[in-house]
This record gives sequence, C-alpha cells and structure tokens, in this order.
Amino acid sequence: MPVSFFVNGAPITVDVLPATPLLDVLRIELGLTGTKQGCDHEGECGVCTVLLDGESVRSCLTPISKAEGRHVFTVEGLGSPGKLHPLQQAFIDTGAVQCGYCTPGMLVAAKGLLDRNPNPNHEQIIEFLEGNLCRCTGYKRILMAVEIAAAKLRGEQAEFKNEYPVVGKEYRRMDAVDKVTGRAKYTEDMVMPGMLHGRVLRSPHHHARLIALDRSQAEKLPGVIRIITAGDIPGENGLGDYSRDEPILTPVGDTAKMMGAPIAIVVAETPQQARTAAQAINVTYEVLPHVFTSEEALAENAYPIYSQGNILTQYSVKHGDLDQAFNESDLTLETRYQSSFVEHSALEREASLAYIDDKGIVTVICANHEPYWHRNYIASTLALEPTQVRVITPPIGGSFGGKQDPILAVTVGLASFLTRRPVRIAYTRKESFAATPKRHPYDLKYRIGAKQNGQLTGIHVRINANTGGYDAHGQYIVHFAVTGSGGAYRWQAVDSHAQTVYTNGPKAGQYRGFGTTQSTYALECTLDELAQKLGMDPLELRLKNAIEQSSISFLGYPIGESVGYTEVLKTLQPRFEEYLKDADAYNAAAREKGEPFRKGVGLAGMWYRFGKSGTLKVEAHCELASDGHFVVYATAPDYGQGSNSMLTQFAAEILESSSDQIRLVNADTALAPDSGIQGASRSTYFVGGAVCKAAGNLRKSIQAVASELLDCDPADVTFSDDKVHPAQDPTKGILLSEIAAEFDRMGRSRRIAGFFDLTPQFPDEKRPQYVPLFCTGAQAADVLVNLKTGVVQVERIVVSQDMGRTVNPVDSQGQIEGAVMMGVGTTIMEEVIPDATTSFASYYVPTIKSMPEIEIHLVEVASRHGPLGVKGIGEAVMTPTAPAILNAISRAVQQRIREIPATPERVLEAITTSQKEGLML
Amino acid sequence: MNSPAKYLFPTTIEEAAQALADWKGEARIIAGGTDLMLDLQKGKIQPHCFVSVDRIHGLDQIRVEDDFIVIGSAVTFANLKDHPYIDQHVHVLADAGRSVGSLSIQNAATLAGNIVNAMPAADGVMAAVALEAEVEIVDIEHTEWKPVESLFKGPGLSNVDPTRQLVTHIRFPRCEDHRGTAWYRLGRRPSLTLPILNCAVNVFLDDSGGIIQRTRIALGPVAPRPFRAQEAERFLEGRSPSAENIRQAAEIARGETDPRGNVLRASRNYRLATIPAIVENALSNAVERALGFVTTPG
Repeated sequence: MPVSFFVNGAPITVDVLPATPLLDVLRIELGLTGTKQGCDHEGECGVCTVLLDGESVRSCLTPISKAEGRHVFTVEGLGSPGKLHPLQQAFIDTGAVQCGYCTPGMLVAAKGLLDRNPNPNHEQIIEFLEGNLCRCTGYKRILMAVEIAAAKLRGEQAEFKNEYPVVGKEYRRMDAVDKVTGRAKYTEDMVMPGMLHGRVLRSPHHHARLIALDRSQAEKLPGVIRIITAGDIPGENGLGDYSRDEPILTPVGDTAKMMGAPIAIVVAETPQQARTAAQAINVTYEVLPHVFTSEEALAENAYPIYSQGNILTQYSVKHGDLDQAFNESDLTLETRYQSSFVEHSALEREASLAYIDDKGIVTVICANHEPYWHRNYIASTLALEPTQVRVITPPIGGSFGGKQDPILAVTVGLASFLTRRPVRIAYTRKESFAATPKRHPYDLKYRIGAKQNGQLTGIHVRINANTGGYDAHGQYIVHFAVTGSGGAYRWQAVDSHAQTVYTNGPKAGQYRGFGTTQSTYALECTLDELAQKLGMDPLELRLKNAIEQSSISFLGYPIGESVGYTEVLKTLQPRFEEYLKDADAYNAAAREKGEPFRKGVGLAGMWYRFGKSGTLKVEAHCELASDGHFVVYATAPDYGQGSNSMLTQFAAEILESSSDQIRLVNADTALAPDSGIQGASRSTYFVGGAVCKAAGNLRKSIQAVASELLDCDPADVTFSDDKVHPAQDPTKGILLSEIAAEFDRMGRSRRIAGFFDLTPQFPDEKRPQYVPLFCTGAQAADVLVNLKTGVVQVERIVVSQDMGRTVNPVDSQGQIEGAVMMGVGTTIMEEVIPDATTSFASYYVPTIKSMPEIEIHLVEVASRHGPLGVKGIGEAVMTPTAPAILNAISRAVQQRIREIPATPERVLEAITTSQKEGLML
Repeated sequence: MNSPAKYLFPTTIEEAAQALADWKGEARIIAGGTDLMLDLQKGKIQPHCFVSVDRIHGLDQIRVEDDFIVIGSAVTFANLKDHPYIDQHVHVLADAGRSVGSLSIQNAATLAGNIVNAMPAADGVMAAVALEAEVEIVDIEHTEWKPVESLFKGPGLSNVDPTRQLVTHIRFPRCEDHRGTAWYRLGRRPSLTLPILNCAVNVFLDDSGGIIQRTRIALGPVAPRPFRAQEAERFLEGRSPSAENIRQAAEIARGETDPRGNVLRASRNYRLATIPAIVENALSNAVERALGFVTTPG
C-alpha cells in the first residue's frame, strides 16, 4: 500500500504493508540508519525515537500508515557535519556522546522538547528523556547538553566550560560528529550486495541432550541457502582457550548446557526466511535435570553437568598464620553475600557481518575487544591459517565486556565461508539476553578479624562463581575473585579461595570489572559491618588499614604501581562527613514529622588490578604519511569508551601536533599491529604506552632526517603542526610532507614501531594476570529509603578515584558517571532471572529518573610505569558503587541486606525485620 | 512483520462502523497502536485490515461539558496530561497518563485503547474506574454507553469487540468542588515499566469537608481485572476523612485483595505488605485536594 509522508521536510512515498513499523521503513526502505534499533520492536529502549508532527514517538511501534501526510523528523534532519545543530554541538562539547547508540534518539527527543518549550527546567528535560535508555554516560552529560543547547537557542551566552585535557593540545572525540549526525555506520547499518542473513537455532531447554536433528523440511523453505550443523564445521568446533568446552554448534549426541545454546545456523535471503526456517528444523531433545545456583550444582547428589564434575577452575591465595590471627583478634565476623546474573545491556545488539574479499580472505566485521583473538578463533574453526582471515572493527554501540565473546564472529565467519557469500547475523534483543554472557553471580563467605583499635588481622574467604552452562572465560575469573576479595588493606594472614562452578544458568563471562566487582562488594560490605560492630567510623577503619607503597598487600607482596589509597580516602572524607551530617538532620526531622523516609550513607573502597589480561609487551605503529599527516596503527577497539581519541591524543602529545593532524587505523588485523587484548582497562596504559613509544621513535627518526635538511642538531628539531623547524629559528620551517618525501628518497621507512614493555620491570612474571598493577578508589553514597515500600532512590554519589594522571577530564568524568549509573542499576534493580528475564521488558536498566547527583574528585598519584603517569580506571570506577549503596541502605534500615539487587522487596523485608526487633528507624 | 494488507482512515464514526461491518470481523480498530503493534508481531492478532480512529472528526477532542468531561477515543495520554482542565482538576487521570511507559509512548497511546486492551493494571484504566467513567461503544446498528468496569471479561479480554465495535468517547462526571483524586504507582524503576501496584482514588466530601460522601478506590494488579476495594469504600462513606479512618480503610483494602506473585516484579507477600501504604497515600492526597476546594470561613 503506498504511503506518502515527509521525512525531514522531503516528500517520500513508499509502497509497503500498511502496518510496517516506521522504523523499518526508515532504516530498510529509505536507508536512514541514523535512527537505531535496540530492542525487538517492543518500545523498551528509546533508541528509535523520531518526531511525528513534532511529537516524539517510538518508530518501532508506529505503523507507517500513521505517518500518512505527516512530518517525520529524524536525526539526519538535525544538522550535518559542517552545520551542526546546537544540540549536536552541545552533545559533543559536554562529552554526552560515548558509544553513540542512544545519541540519535536522545537528540531527537530533546529537539521535540526544545521546539515546544525553549526554556525547560530540569524536571521537564527528564520527562522528555525518561524513555530513552543510555548505558554509557549515566545521563548527566546528556542533561547538561540539553540545558546548554536550550540556552544557546534562546540566544543566551552558554558555552560548556571545557576543561582542557592535560594530554594532547585540544579535546576532540574523533567519532562524535559522525555519531551525532547519524552517519556512523554500526554493523547493523551496513548492507552488502547479495548479503544473506543468518539465524541461530537455539536450545529451548536449560539442559538437554540432542537426540536427533532433521533439517530436511527447513531446507526446502523459500529463500533458504544453507543450514549448518556441527558436522559441517571444517575445523575446531569450539573457542580454544577462550572457552574450554563451548561448541560453536552442539553436535547430536552431546548436551546443550543452557537455554540458548546454539544448535544450527540457518542462512537465508531474508531475516524472516531464516527465522521461519530455523523454526522448521526438527530437533529431538532429551531433557535433563537443571540447576541455576552454584550451591545446587555443588550439592553432593548434584547432576554432573560436565563429566569431570561441576567445578571448572580453582585458585587461592594463602599466607600468614590465620589461626593465630583470629586468636589474636578482639572481634571476628562471619558474613555471606550473594549477587545475581546481570546483563551488559549495551544498546547496540550484537551483530556481525562476514564476506570473502577479492583475495579470498574471510573478512569479518564485528565488535570485539581483541581483533587478533577473534581472527585466530575464526581461522581455527574454518581450518584456515590466521592470515586467511581478517577482522575489521566497526563503530561499536557499547560492550562493557559483553562483546569480547567471540562466538558470534566465528558463527558468521563460518556461515560466509560455507556459503561463499556475505552473511550478516544480527541478534535480536531476546537472543542477546539468551545467548550472550552475563556477569557471574557470586556466593561469598567471609570471616574476618580485627583488634579493638580497628587493625585488621585475618581474612578467610570462600567464593563460588557461577559461570552458567559454559566456561566463556569463567575459568579465569577465580584469579580476580580472589584478588578483589581482600582489597587495598594490610592483613596479617590471608586464606582466600575461589572456584568457578558450572550450572545451567546463562553462560557468564566478561563483564566490566571482571570478577573484581562482586568480591569488592562483599568485602566492602563486610568491612562496613565490622566498623559498625567496632563502633568505628568506616572511613577511619579503612584509613587505618590502607596499604602504602611498601606494604605487603593482600596478595603477599607489595604492589607494582604507585598507591594512592590514603589520598583517595582523605579526599573523600570531608564529603562523606557532610553526607553523614545531612542524613542525621534529615532523619531527625523525618522522625519528628512521622514521615516514612530515611536516609542512609554508605562508604566503600576498592582496589582494582588493571592490565591483567594479555601480554606485558604491546606494539603500536606511528607513520609519517606522504601528505605530512601522522597515522597511528594500533588495536584498542573503541566501544564507546573513547580509545580512538585517547590514542590520537597521545600521539599528538608526543609529536606536538593537533589531533587533527593525526589519523588512526585501529583494530583491523590486516592493517594494524596486535596491541593485545583490550580488557582489564588496559588500553590507555598499555596501548597508550605503545603509541607513545611509537610516536617517540617516529619523532626521533623525523628529527634525524630533518636535522640534515635544517642543518641543526637533531634534538633542536622542533615540531609545529604540519612543519618542523630549528628551535632557534621558527621561520626556517620545512613541511612534514617534504620530510616524508626525504624519507622516501633515502629509502627509510616512514612507519615505525614502538613497544610498551613491562617485562624489564617484572622479569620473573610469566603470567600477566599476576602482575600487580593496581589503582584504588572510594565512593560514598547517600540514599533515601521509603520505609513503607522499600523503594530506594540513590540521591548522591561522591567518587574519589586515583587516576594516575587524567588524560581527558571530560571523558574521564563521563566514564565515571556511566560506571556509577551502571553500579546503581546492578545494586538496586538489575537481575537476570533464568526462565523469566528475556528482554528489556523484564530487565530493569536505570533510566534518567534514577540518576543520582554525582560528584567526582580525580586524585592524581602518577603511575610508576604507565605512559605520562596514567592508570587504567574504566572498570575500577564501577566496583565501589554497589557496596557504597548497599551499606547506605543497610544503615538507613538498620539491618544488613546481603544480596544484590536490593529490590524494594528485599529492602522491605529488612525494614520489617528491624521493626520486629523493635529498632527505632 | 505480520501486517494487514489494508489500513483505513475513516473520517466519520459511521464510516468506521460501516468499514468494520463490511470486513465482517476481519478488520480491527486501531488507535495509538502501541499495544496492537506488539500483538501483531506476536501473532496474537491477524487482522486483514486496520481501521484507524486517528482521523475521525472530533475524536481527538477533550470536551469539558456542564456535567461531563468527554474524551475522544483518539486522545492520547500526552493530550490528557497536557490538558489544563485535566491537569488541574483530574489529577488521577493526568498522573496515570504520565505513568504509561514514557513520553514517546504517551504521545501515541490512548485511554480508549488502554480500556479495550483490558489489562488488569493498565494505568489509564485504573484512573477511569476510579472516575466512574462510561464508554461510548458504537457498531453499525447501535450506540450505547457502558460503565468502564462492565467491560472486562478477563486479562486482555474486553467486552468491546474491536472487530465489530469502536469506542468513540469516554466520559466521567464533572466535579470540581469537594472532590479530590490521586494516583500512586509502585514499580521496579521510576519509569518505563509495568507496575508492581497502582492505585487510583476519587474522594467526594460533603460541603463541610468533614464527611466522606463517596469514594472510589481502584487497585491493580491484584485481581484478573481492575479491582475496586469496595469494602474500604463502604467503610469510608459517611466517615470523616481522618488519618485514622484512612489508615483503617487501607487495611481493609488489603484484606479484600488477592494478588498474585510475579517473579519479575514482586511477590504476593510484597504486594500485600505495600497495599495499605499506597492506598493510604493515595487517599490522603485525594482528601487533601478535596479539602483544598472547600472554602472554610475564617
């Protein structure tokens, strides 16, 4: 049925079925991919927001016919790179753009508001944005951006006070313009001629044996090109060391260990045909017993999920005489804390596109944290040499660890390899919930001791980390579970043990703060209990026991980086004390008036081992291009955290040029060197370090060549944008393009490698995950609890974080705000309940309405080994949020809650217990 | 996408009713479409034709008449909360509208659609029940007004048959004096979520402000259909709007309900534990508003 309407002012007629979602018409029929899709046409995420006659609507729930004769406004209509709308400019300036996936919807919703109300207050902005999820920014900068743009549009003077970065000459998120104009092409936005669509058939059972699989009916369906099962895999049906026992496709005769385990891949002409055919594959299962918790999986009579038993790996740290330590304690305390499965919920769903290029290379465009790892897993499954596979990293709409999992890249590579055609697989949101890794639920048992004066003595920890049905990197989590379990404190004796346990829950894998977050939560809550029992200020307790540079740490040896924990705590102290005072005053007044609200203030610290994954030696390249630009080659995928900008800033700093002068080739295995895995907050420290080295080497090389031409000492060759000149005489400049030509005449390579190498500092350390690089931080939370409903509003969070050195204050703060918000979510609302949670409709990611006030103090204790003094903080900043909030809630209701999320129901139970115990709340 | 092949935009009610008759049950009324688009994807409905109320003359109007407030079936929740009269005098409806999903849902979703979709705790429905709303239902032969409460057969099942009938208007008695309404909603997060509980109340005081003449307390989701706490209502009628009476009424309301647990939202016990708090809160706010319109000398 033809439908005529206007898109961004231009008349358009499309001939589609009349209830086709407007979103599909925009993206598929019109190729306007600036409008994103984040859920399954359910109206649950807001990234598809457009204006219909000026009012914001979910384009996924809008039948196209509704637009007949009306005006649709999308992000493409807002402004173009040369002519940005004030909203777009403000989003860039304030750092409101990270992964960029929520950005178009946010911009459009904000436009709808400002067109109608040029002078909105805080609450009105929140009302207009409350339906748009953001996972990166914590919303704060988005709100700031709307306020600034509104003022500008009213003709007022309003500039974002941009604190200039310490590193590099000016601030520029190099991909932000593309993201605010809708031009950034994410994997789901890409199409190729002849592209097929893949769909993975998944097990509907938590635990089942595949008895038989019949694809004959499905193969006959229209559009079906190929149905792939385990037997079709030319090479390894697995992910090597990444996940020891996880097949790409479950073979007949084997068991599928979780709901969502992959069984077959259907490749068809259209997504709908692939889906229909997947449903037509006839699979016979024998359903087996299943368990969801580590406790059940470890029970004596538990069904063995794997023949070797239900424990995957174990690890422990033990030193000192624990019995003696406890005997000498004035107080010992036992606690048990638990956490649940949580989902990354990046707003871009997992998608990957593969094709065979004209040289026969299997090329896979996919989100990743390490393209070389993905390349090797793909090659291994296809029985190819790694060089016969290329991985290209597209713009990524958020990861938080979730997109490190290689299975989708391998799956789509396999599909393209076997069909010899371009294939895309885009997960639905439900599939993303069913098939991608979650955060490991922990069950932690603590026993700690202390002297009456607060000196910590012994610590005994037992941790079960639930990795669900598959390894998915859970084998390594025990190291970080144990390391996180003791914190940045001096202990007399330590015995901490963790084991990774299989269940039939969703597989658990990489998640921001890998393994550390859950341990930090239990430790810092247990310490808070201890402080209360000792009648001691919780900050004093921590200060008293904080490690110093030379202290023997929880691990039994001193840590290898600079330690700023005491500074961190002292920075937090005045704000923490103010929070306490405010809460006391509030609660006294509320009691007086009989109001059912109480405030609570909680504190938590953390230490985080960054850079722990991957090698100690990292490579990057820097090139002087023939036109005089610099080109950085490295692998540090940017999933929104800003590594693209960081890498160019570092090069700009060393080469004394503006970042406009720098181009970047990042995370492409055909073009950039392997700079190691981007996990564990490594990129700034390690890859940044390698870029600094490469840029330094290039600088020296240019100085050597230029000194001949300039007739000066190489050390006197000075860089000034696109020129070099002798330090003494700026007028005697030579263009860098001419220097490049001179390189060529001399037959000298213009592309030079640099290595960041910690091996000399840690010569005996063969296992990178043991290298003791740590950063520390602390947070205080101020919460308001409704005593009648148990509903918690986190009102304020103050963050004190040792950055080493801040590369970019705007980006750092944006990342911290996002981490805090993610922490708020995982503490009070987020939980994947196996069997019940299937999509955003049943998983509660915080909206802008849950945003607390966030105050950030960046503490700078320069690193000893990192480039320019930096440390890795992207994950670390999330770890203290949960314990700070939970301690605040527990103190408000005078009852310990030892499970997250602290849902209204759990909080109300605690309140009821306190009331039964006759406590005066 | 399982889209029907046709999508009609009648401009009169008669035309719409005629279209439904012509399609003999194969067509279906659509308003905002925010629920129907989901039903369509899930295959819960498979109409051959959608008949839209969007462009029927007059149905996008909110009319403040002498005796009634009349709301057309194309009026969205955003229209409701933005309407000065509703915003000022019918808090329960404005606030319930604000609770529906988020603004970009409210800009499309309608009160009429909410009623015909017949979910037991739909925010708009709860407000309509508390307001004692009536619904005008039209088919090719008849037009009749029915109380909103009479339209629920079960969860998702309405006595309005949208393949044969259309809702054209919703109305409720106009009243500004001695009357207060209020809304309370409890959810797992403050926006973009289904309710753990919601409560809509409507309180009429006598001229002195000292006696509750009549009250309506709607609660959801505590039964397979929108629930009215009638014992609590009866208890309050004729009594003073004191804090103690309100507290007792809220307890009585708890006693009348039989909520179920939902693993994603809250258990039965949690719902039972919090019903008194939310009923009490809503009643107190409604009484306060009702008293605000009472002119007491001195």
